[in-house]
Amino acid sequence: MKRMLKCVALGVALMSLVLGGCGGEKKDDKAASAKEIKIGGIIDLSGPTSSVGVPYAEGVKAGAAYLNGKGGVAGMKINLDVQDDAYNVQQGLSIYKKFAQDKVAAIQGFGTNVTEALMRTTAKDEIPFFSASYSAHLTDPKSAPYNFFTSADYSTQMRAALKYFKDNWKESRKPRLALLYPDHPYGLSPIQAGKDYAAELGFDLVGTANVDLKAIDATTQLLPLKDKKPDFIWCGGTTPSTSVILKDAKKIGLKATFFTNIWGTDENLIKMAGDASEGVVSLQTAAVYGQDVPGMKIILEASKNQPQMTHYIRGFVSMLVMGEGIRLAAAKGPVTGPSIKAALETMKDFDLQGLAPSVSYLPSDHRPSMAVFLYKVGGGKLTFLAQETLERKAEWLGK
Amino acid sequence: MRGHCGLFFESYRAEAAVFPSTFQRVCLGLFVAALLACPFMLSSYYVSVMNLIFIAVIGAVSLNLLTGVCGQISLGHGAFIGVGAYAAAQASLHGAPFLAALVLGGFAAALAGMVFGVPSLRLKGIYLAIATLAAQLILEYVFLHWESVTGGSRGLVVNAPQILGYSFDTERKTFYLLLAVTSLCLLCVTNVLRSRHGRAFVSIRDFYLSAEIAGVNLFSSKLAAFGLSSFLAGVAGGLWAHYTMFISAEQFGIGLSVSYLAMIIIGGLGSVSGSVMGAAFMTLLPEFLNAGSSALSGVLPDISGSIVALREGVFGLVLVLFLVFEPEGLANRWRLIKAYWKLYPFSH
Repeated sequence: MKRMLKCVALGVALMSLVLGGCGGEKKDDKAASAKEIKIGGIIDLSGPTSSVGVPYAEGVKAGAAYLNGKGGVAGMKINLDVQDDAYNVQQGLSIYKKFAQDKVAAIQGFGTNVTEALMRTTAKDEIPFFSASYSAHLTDPKSAPYNFFTSADYSTQMRAALKYFKDNWKESRKPRLALLYPDHPYGLSPIQAGKDYAAELGFDLVGTANVDLKAIDATTQLLPLKDKKPDFIWCGGTTPSTSVILKDAKKIGLKATFFTNIWGTDENLIKMAGDASEGVVSLQTAAVYGQDVPGMKIILEASKNQPQMTHYIRGFVSMLVMGEGIRLAAAKGPVTGPSIKAALETMKDFDLQGLAPSVSYLPSDHRPSMAVFLYKVGGGKLTFLAQETLERKAEWLGK
Repeated sequence: MRGHCGLFFESYRAEAAVFPSTFQRVCLGLFVAALLACPFMLSSYYVSVMNLIFIAVIGAVSLNLLTGVCGQISLGHGAFIGVGAYAAAQASLHGAPFLAALVLGGFAAALAGMVFGVPSLRLKGIYLAIATLAAQLILEYVFLHWESVTGGSRGLVVNAPQILGYSFDTERKTFYLLLAVTSLCLLCVTNVLRSRHGRAFVSIRDFYLSAEIAGVNLFSSKLAAFGLSSFLAGVAGGLWAHYTMFISAEQFGIGLSVSYLAMIIIGGLGSVSGSVMGAAFMTLLPEFLNAGSSALSGVLPDISGSIVALREGVFGLVLVLFLVFEPEGLANRWRLIKAYWKLYPFSH
């Protein structure tokens, strides 16, 4: 009898799951109407990168709501459906298949692994895919024709910082550089480019070491560096590993200018590392909440004056650029994946009112911009330092 | 019908038949027919989910052969799948036909599996788990740093499978390819289990000393288990590489190894049908949870954020509940259901 009950309970649970699933789909069908454009979202909302994925997704949603508030794009309302891939390739893949079947016009993606796993498939299905994975190889249309993003790629970010440091270097000796990064596709992505450019600019590379993304201690990597007295140290991880490095550096008295990319410093790092984060140079490609730029009032409105992380603004910008692509495509004819791609590739200096550097794409070059914002952590917040704009060199494409 | 009820065997051969009764053969025939009809009846999304299940089934049944049947726990299965994926991808990039590339991927993975299986002679249980974990970490490192072969952090771009000029470039076409390969793999494992080797594997799992006394060569049998299991894992990897058309080191992490272990534990250790059920269950669960949470967030939009977080918790909870209430896996539950209906309505 007990066993029967258990069976029944299990059956009911399964049934409710199945029914729940069907219910969800029916509603989606009803929502679809003629004057609408479907956009999919595949973002990590519960996985290992969800601490930045959630604000990014909120930004993307706010961007869509903002465009819809202005009457939509070319008269079409954006119907954005953001699904959680939990930073898992299989889940990302099946969400993508669902979107492809629903004939979404374009997708707002997020993480490196899912973006790369879908690279070929999106090209085959002709669905433009905007990601928050800024690996340089995604900017080469030869291998990733339908991949777009709105920020300078990881390699460009690092090059921009090196250029800025070199230009502001006052001493007669060569500046000393050390690189700390996780042994992980994301961490490795800009390293070769950084090394090459550092050598070209005349940096002395005094050390490299691996600090894992999940590291809880970095003293073993930092102690040997201390004797080599680097002036600049690259932290190529995410905020948790950066905060470990900063705290340990403070502990052992290693003084240098630490610099990180987009995911290495954000508002959370200041909370995690406290005083140790003072003086860190952060490379960003979107404004910080509350910064004095013309576009900020849109963000303040969209977020109802609730302070947001910079990832939110980058998500917002990504949606604005996608919206502009759709608008340009609609001006020429029917809006399809290929027409959005073609329209994006004609985009020239799309002004984002200071929220991010202006965006351009070329048919042979999907690098959105060569400009990077540098911020400095001071007094518990990110303060704008400079904008560094590099030359769009052909040999840097995809590297 | 024929004057007797139930199944009676007059020879060991008859008992060991893969499909002992006509009824089973009919059921299986209907099941296969239903599967063959699936791509025509289902939308491409459901077909793609089934494709993922097929690949997972091959991976799960191969791990079940090693862990469930031979008792050699492996935490490196994800990496062996990766070896197969990279090898098959490289082979087809160098012009090998798809099927040959698949087999080559299998052999490469088998080699890797046998190398890392060597410690299994000395190590058992948790110690072997740690040794295979080392295999996982070492291979992951190789995937990331052997740039000329694996593409390093940039990954490797692969083409869709092609056999004799026929390209399997849509979900529906791929479905039949995967169905065929999966059926072959399942038949292969089922038949191995009926052979001398299969019985040797089981005897090693049950008690290694008795097995040795009975004349089983422990070392060669364990290596054979590692080799065959990794071969099939490599085939799964090759299929995965050609199916997604892009592979990178991140895809074959420890998480993949653990999820395959979860599949065979949920499905039933040592059972071929259990591997199938476990793989299907583990692939479908996130889909159901996704659908469920999006349905709920439609009703209660304000708490959609916390529902998403809850989903991960539900996933874990379902796994724990399974371990508590179904320790012998879905395969055993299926047996009990069959037994119940066999005697219905005179079960007592």
